[in-house]
Amino acid sequence: MNWQVKYALENLNRDIGKLFKAEYIESDVIKVTTKGQPEVFAHISACHEITLTIVKGYTEQFPNLDFVCGYRSNCIWNGDAIDFLRSRGVGWGNSGTLSSAIRNGDANIAEHKTWAFSSRLIHQYGIVKNAIREFDRIFMVELKSGREVRIGMIADYEPTADSVRSLVEQFGSVDIAWNINPNGQPTASSIQAGKELGCEVLKTDDLKSHMQSL
Amino acid sequence: MTAQEIALFLLTSCRHLNFFESYMFGSTLNGIGNDIDILIVGDHGERLSNLKIEIGLAGENLPLDVLYMDHSEAIETNFIKNENCVMLSMLADGEYPPKSHE
Repeated sequence: MNWQVKYALENLNRDIGKLFKAEYIESDVIKVTTKGQPEVFAHISACHEITLTIVKGYTEQFPNLDFVCGYRSNCIWNGDAIDFLRSRGVGWGNSGTLSSAIRNGDANIAEHKTWAFSSRLIHQYGIVKNAIREFDRIFMVELKSGREVRIGMIADYEPTADSVRSLVEQFGSVDIAWNINPNGQPTASSIQAGKELGCEVLKTDDLKSHMQSL
Repeated sequence: MTAQEIALFLLTSCRHLNFFESYMFGSTLNGIGNDIDILIVGDHGERLSNLKIEIGLAGENLPLDVLYMDHSEAIETNFIKNENCVMLSMLADGEYPPKSHE
């Protein structure tokens, strides 16, 4: 059994063990049994980046899959992998998303808790004409004004200069580094790092007005 | 792995940690949690790039969640105090949790 499956089973059985039972099935797949609810089959992935090819492989290997869990906290999901899983009725996210989905009985439609709210919010802004998800945290947004804006989301409680630099290093340049965590504030160094890299570091409250000004 | 074992492993595996302040925080200190939360405080540059590579290798089979800050950010956010961060060296030496003196 691979390390991430072992961690997932230990944590699930400790966190929710009174009501549920999580057990190993095969490869990196676990089964979670809940009283009065359908069983949940989840693939616990140790991949650093989850691509379309990878998730296609997971679903071919185990067609009854309900959820794909990227166990690493810094796991990156490609946009087309997310689209594929959603179209197949397979939930996706981190270990926290899986725990919540099991409690809520919605593993098949669950999406990564970290990015779920903000990714919905983008589509709800009236000034946004279209938004293409390139990665879990990167959107190419077309505004009604015709302007295109590449937005990268930073979920850290205290976004640091390193958070901003790492975002650009990993995903390429962005116009806006959006700190989606409602608590905390971007540090002065992170705002400075953003200026050096040609992007604005913004909280949710400032995002809409900034886009309206473009 | 216990918090002490993780701290020992990281300090042994990542020699560039010598150039930074390194801490553990969060639920792993109490032996639970999905992630192992680590804080690294120090300057941006080549040493940090090298440290990230070392941590990447050390974390191949561990759910590490690493936050990097420079010194001004550590002061600005008061993160070390607010999150009750414990130095990896203290953990490795078995100095945490502190023993009570009667």
